[in-house]
Amino acid sequence: MSLIRYIARRLLYMVPLLLGISIISFITMYAAGDPITIITMGKPTITEAQRQAIRIYYGLDKPVPVQYLNWLVNILKGDFGKSFTYGGQPVRLLIEQWFWPTVELQLISILLAVALSIPIGIMSAKNQYSKRDITVTSIALFGVSMPTFWLGVILIIAFSYNLGWLPSAGAVGAPYLWPLFGIENPTLDHLAHLILPVTVLTYVSLAQNVRLVRANMLEVLRSDYILAARASGLSERLVIYKHALRNSITPVITYLGLSLGAVVGGAPMTEYVFNWPGLGRRFVDAAMNLDFPLIMGITMIITIMTLVANLIVDISYAFIDPRIRVE
Amino acid sequence: MTKQEKTKAETASRRSASQWAVAWRRFKRNRAGVAGLIMVSALVFIAIFHNLLALYPARPDPKAFTPFYKGDTAKPPSANYPFGTSAIGTDVFSDVIHGSVYAIYVGVLVTVITMGLAIVVGAIAGYFGKWVDNILMRITEIFLVFPSLLLILVFVRIFSISAGGGSWQFLGITVPPGLTIVIFILGVFNWASNARMVRGEFLRVREMEFVQAEKALGASNWRIIFRHVLPNILSSIIVVATLTIAYAILLEAAVSFLGFGDPNTITWGQILQENFSEMRTVWWAEFFPGLAILFSVFGFNLLGDGLSDALNPRLRE
Amino acid sequence: MSENILEVEGLKTHFYTEAGVVLAVDGVSFNVRKGETLGLVGESGSGKTVTALSVLRLVPRPGRIVEGKIRFQGEDLLAKTEEEMRDIRGDKIAIIFQDPTSSLNPVYTVESQLADVINTHQKSSKEGVRGKIAELFQFVEIPEPEARMREYPHQFSGGMKQRVAVARALACEPVLLFADEPTTNLDVTIQAQVLDLMKDLKTKLGMSMVMITHDMGIIADITSRVVVLYAGRVCEIAPTPVLYERLRHPYTEALLAAVPRIDKRKKLAIIPRNIPNLISPPSGCRFHPRCPYAKDVCKERVPELEEVEPGHSVACHEWRNLSLNGVG
Repeated sequence: MSLIRYIARRLLYMVPLLLGISIISFITMYAAGDPITIITMGKPTITEAQRQAIRIYYGLDKPVPVQYLNWLVNILKGDFGKSFTYGGQPVRLLIEQWFWPTVELQLISILLAVALSIPIGIMSAKNQYSKRDITVTSIALFGVSMPTFWLGVILIIAFSYNLGWLPSAGAVGAPYLWPLFGIENPTLDHLAHLILPVTVLTYVSLAQNVRLVRANMLEVLRSDYILAARASGLSERLVIYKHALRNSITPVITYLGLSLGAVVGGAPMTEYVFNWPGLGRRFVDAAMNLDFPLIMGITMIITIMTLVANLIVDISYAFIDPRIRVE
Repeated sequence: MTKQEKTKAETASRRSASQWAVAWRRFKRNRAGVAGLIMVSALVFIAIFHNLLALYPARPDPKAFTPFYKGDTAKPPSANYPFGTSAIGTDVFSDVIHGSVYAIYVGVLVTVITMGLAIVVGAIAGYFGKWVDNILMRITEIFLVFPSLLLILVFVRIFSISAGGGSWQFLGITVPPGLTIVIFILGVFNWASNARMVRGEFLRVREMEFVQAEKALGASNWRIIFRHVLPNILSSIIVVATLTIAYAILLEAAVSFLGFGDPNTITWGQILQENFSEMRTVWWAEFFPGLAILFSVFGFNLLGDGLSDALNPRLRE
Repeated sequence: MSENILEVEGLKTHFYTEAGVVLAVDGVSFNVRKGETLGLVGESGSGKTVTALSVLRLVPRPGRIVEGKIRFQGEDLLAKTEEEMRDIRGDKIAIIFQDPTSSLNPVYTVESQLADVINTHQKSSKEGVRGKIAELFQFVEIPEPEARMREYPHQFSGGMKQRVAVARALACEPVLLFADEPTTNLDVTIQAQVLDLMKDLKTKLGMSMVMITHDMGIIADITSRVVVLYAGRVCEIAPTPVLYERLRHPYTEALLAAVPRIDKRKKLAIIPRNIPNLISPPSGCRFHPRCPYAKDVCKERVPELEEVEPGHSVACHEWRNLSLNGVG
């Protein structure tokens, strides 16, 4: 079947999935009972009447299914409701403000990680059991076992506090601090702030990807068609970069796709440690404050983007491996 | 001796060819896996003897704050305090030692819940197939698409507040409520990917001939699942379970670090949270607990990789 | 007598695995004459494939050629650099594998894969290459060559895939072809077709071929001389009709007896017990535990290849004392 029909089928299929997700997103608010009661538990002096007033203001006094439908309809119109914190600002506005810092951080890290992991993974697989390979696999396993936030903290302590080379928090620093780091303009400032968080994210992502590429490459290199290619006298370059690579690249595509989908929601840990003004950091705050409209809005955005990314990944598979198009 | 008896005797005298014996021999040859086993055993040892190994008792025992009373708050590592003291006046070394108990508690319990759910769902989906499989896989997909860390935080927060304080009794053991809530939520949000793996394995084994043979002999479905399919899948389950323990420890640390953990249970992540704002001056209190996490997770990952190699041999050269 | 295109002397290829050293090929000697079809026969695990891979110097890790001489067209292959070997592979010596599905890369068109081989060894324009491939496809009797070139391996049937593999192997007109069980994975009806094709092509190209198989029927059909391999060692070498009528090795006898016959009523003979463990193989003659004629000397000393008659040698201590059943 053609690529077009494959895509159309998958898109159609996404609709019930989205519906299910929206329902679950909404229900989280009621997971442990009435949300307003939970939020105001810390305030013993509040009266039920006041609670009810809050409910009415946020439209939470209506029956739950009605609430859900109102919420859903509004979402489709682009209205994500008003935040419980941040002075009741519209959720959509807030998300828009925090969206790009997160995307910037993530995109750079993911692309760096994928770009680096392919050559490293290939080199490692080609020279299996060599010193290089063992070093790479150990560092990779280390990276996968490391708490990302801890790495962030260590880097801050080392490079910011002790060596004073790089700023420790935020996306931009106040201009009067620039001379401390030898910064002369806003671009450099932003760049300086990017280095540490990107390093953390890239390292972890890289570790994971290298393992994937290497494992897949190893398996592919054992296959008969690679032996046949070598037996035909093909140069090693052709064998590895044409014949082996295309067959081993699928997990990297998967990872790329999933990571891109998670770009918007990813890295709450790193953003927290570096106080990066992105969605991840703000979500943590929202979760702490139980700011439900914000929570649900961010969740929906993230989930939709993940679904879209999954779709793109599936389409790429069909493009790369012609056998899949037959299904 | 008849020819038959001779062959039997020879077979017996050859090294035991049972699946597990072979796997164990393979495992022993894998140095990384053995290293992992040693690390995990060290962790367990520390957890069992934590009261003997630590310098000061665990919180909430007031003696844990002895450094504070001695005016030794926020001091760097020294002979008295191998890992230094924290911002609130506890001995970091003791905190880390005591935290090992929580690490294992969290790791194991989360894995039990996750694997339990994953096996049940995966088995039903993989074995019965068709529409049952379809529905279950859609549900699994929904769980996989959600940003799990974020939702975990929300749910932990909701339930922590509504459950309040106090202590819980479970089979006569007092369990820390806050931490147990975290554990349950971690368990519930993690089953999806493991369920997929279990289902895949079920599909693979279901097509094997001996299952068809059993069916032809009239064995009931449950009997087939439990007595025939599951034992074949056991090795994959063991490997995934080990890796899940590693992942669970990491997740709990993340949740506690962000401040969503139970302030009364001093897990390693909790220590990191307590000293985060002071990390500039009390860096050792951030360094060592993190190192403990790294050590434990690394150990379980090595062990899991080693087990995977030993139990599922591919043409390893 | 025509010259030898390949001379293998005392070849030993061992695999250094975690479980021990596998003595896959442990002292194999034979020659391939120009233009002949030599059969290399033995059970699985006898070392047939490893021998072929050793000649091409493509033994996978953890295997290594430990000892021996390999001379191709008078040149020492073991002394060549990797680059020189790459020039030879696919161009002068080619190989066809058992499973055509796994020996073709699933993600590229067959045209692309054949073009790779041609472009590696010859300078040609794109149209030239395409024309050559179409010609090759016609040669191996694949209908509608221009259209089918652009398809992917999974779009071909088993027999067709093997023809593609044959085309790839013959693309640069090699002088020596190793065919490693090329028909084992194919339907019986297709087997005959592919074998006939190979016979035909070999004659047309004046190629030498080594047919690796465990099937004595194929040996009788297509080969002119046979080398019998057991557990990494040579048992017997003889012209095919001589082997069938005047065989001298007990293993050869067992092999022939295991072939079912329509014209003779007899119980299907099984060779007792299993192929030996190649990590710790039996001492002396490797076949002695399964040999009905074994004597003490067979356990103690390794039999050398001795000449029975010109062109026919056998490695057995007892061959003079045995009168074995051939297939008349």
